[in-house]
Amino acid sequence: MGIEIVEAGDAELVRRIRAGDIGAYAALVARYRVRLGRYALHMIGDREDAEEALQDAFVRAYRSLARCDDPERFGAWLYGILVNRCRTTGARVARRRRLFVRDENAINGATHPDQSDRVEWADVVGRALARLAPEYREAFLLKHVEDLEYEEIADLTGTGVSALKMRVKRAREQLQRFLKEAEHV
Amino acid sequence: MFERQDEEDIVERVIRELRRPASIDRALDARVMSEIARPETGLVARRPFARVWPWLAAAAVLTAVVIARPWSRGTRPDAFQFVLVAPQAASVALVGDFNDWDPTRAPMHAARGGLWATVIPLPPGRYRYAFLVNGVEWRADPGAPAAGDDEFGTPSSVVTVAGRGS
Amino acid sequence: MILTALLLVIAQNPAQDPRYERLDPDTRARVVAIVDSARVVGLPSDPLIHRALEGAMKNAAGERIVAAVRRLAGDLGTARDALGSNATPAELEAGVAALRAGATPATLTRLRDLRKPPITMALAVLADLVASGVPADSAAAAVLVLAPTARDADLVEFRRAVERDIALGAPPDAATSVRLGATSMGLDATARNARPGKP
Repeated sequence: MGIEIVEAGDAELVRRIRAGDIGAYAALVARYRVRLGRYALHMIGDREDAEEALQDAFVRAYRSLARCDDPERFGAWLYGILVNRCRTTGARVARRRRLFVRDENAINGATHPDQSDRVEWADVVGRALARLAPEYREAFLLKHVEDLEYEEIADLTGTGVSALKMRVKRAREQLQRFLKEAEHV
Repeated sequence: MFERQDEEDIVERVIRELRRPASIDRALDARVMSEIARPETGLVARRPFARVWPWLAAAAVLTAVVIARPWSRGTRPDAFQFVLVAPQAASVALVGDFNDWDPTRAPMHAARGGLWATVIPLPPGRYRYAFLVNGVEWRADPGAPAAGDDEFGTPSSVVTVAGRGS
Repeated sequence: MILTALLLVIAQNPAQDPRYERLDPDTRARVVAIVDSARVVGLPSDPLIHRALEGAMKNAAGERIVAAVRRLAGDLGTARDALGSNATPAELEAGVAALRAGATPATLTRLRDLRKPPITMALAVLADLVASGVPADSAAAAVLVLAPTARDADLVEFRRAVERDIALGAPPDAATSVRLGATSMGLDATARNARPGKP
């Protein structure tokens, strides 16, 4: 289905905001909160950081609304901002998480508790996703979860289509492997 | 542990799981709106509108004919956002020196979450203003400095717009 | 040409200003007289008209409106004496706010001497700090310290930092001096960085 570019009224809302009605932006935030929030959550993994990234993306989008050349494609443009924002958060969170894991291991003796029986499927998926390299995770989510075309993803990420296809393929293979491991533990 | 078919499907199961709608705190909307509306009052650093939106800048110049006094020294006004949180209000107007204290000149628009907002162009200067709620109740801007000398019995706020090049 | 002359007459004749119509006839006559006198001595009329309109909008009694306008005219004159005849109307208005906050005319003059014009924001920050609870002499001292080098944005940021600290429970005086230290150190560092080769 591609990016929901033509959700009725985006261009009209952008026009109203540009005319000074900032209240109209609340409608855009409400419209995109859930879908973009899903991407941020999956991409970053941590709810608090994801919501912060999402909030920041909305604020950045508002402040640079003048650079949204095609208001009918506001959604696609907003995605681009969020993707970038998630990359920077992702890098920061990953560093912090590594530190945290190391500390925890130091305290608990690096145990690997068997959790497969009590962890929800969602958690299993989340953990597998988190093990993917960020660029694989990004490509996989945009292609298969957010349902974007490769050309659209290329526009958003600045990565070529063939490289993206490779990343998605690798992501699928690795997910399959990680999930098998999880099931076997 | 997996059947052959499961192996084919496992990524599809992951995708189905990941496609479930996320529950994102609705309060995020209010946080975004208060962030973007954070009083540009008294602020000199962040004035997105007049600088980057040619059409609004054009409108601002037109408005300046009305509100900018001879002392505007030919400078182009910047646009400022004014915001009040008033969930119970039926109407809110922004009134102040910049619109000759005329409530019909700057009605505020209701946004979600009880926010009322408007954007107006302001040339450099210092302006007293207040919000008129429901046409009767005066409120100062909680996000801006108080005017101090409230000789008429109700509080006002002030916004200072710096001159260019300063 | 005739139209221009006519517009000039209207522009220069305060009594023709349609904004006066929002004042009752008695108040209008007295406000016009004050504004007229102020114009004669070169003071800006808009701040005076605005104050009258604020009073009218807030349903203040005519007597109160006239008193407020008269007092403002006097303070604009004091500010002009302190800031000099080149001061802009915005500077004069901010000067009035600073005077009413407790700054002395000498402080205004000193500020004018220390800082490149316009000094509207410096005067406004002084007044706003006092409105936040900072004692007038501390606010004046702080602004005078920052005046020579701080940009308007630095002054606004300083004011905000102090206001935040006060809102969090800090004594206004302490907040001002702590933030002043940090802000002036930042400005010093900026100045040093701008001159490579100097310590």
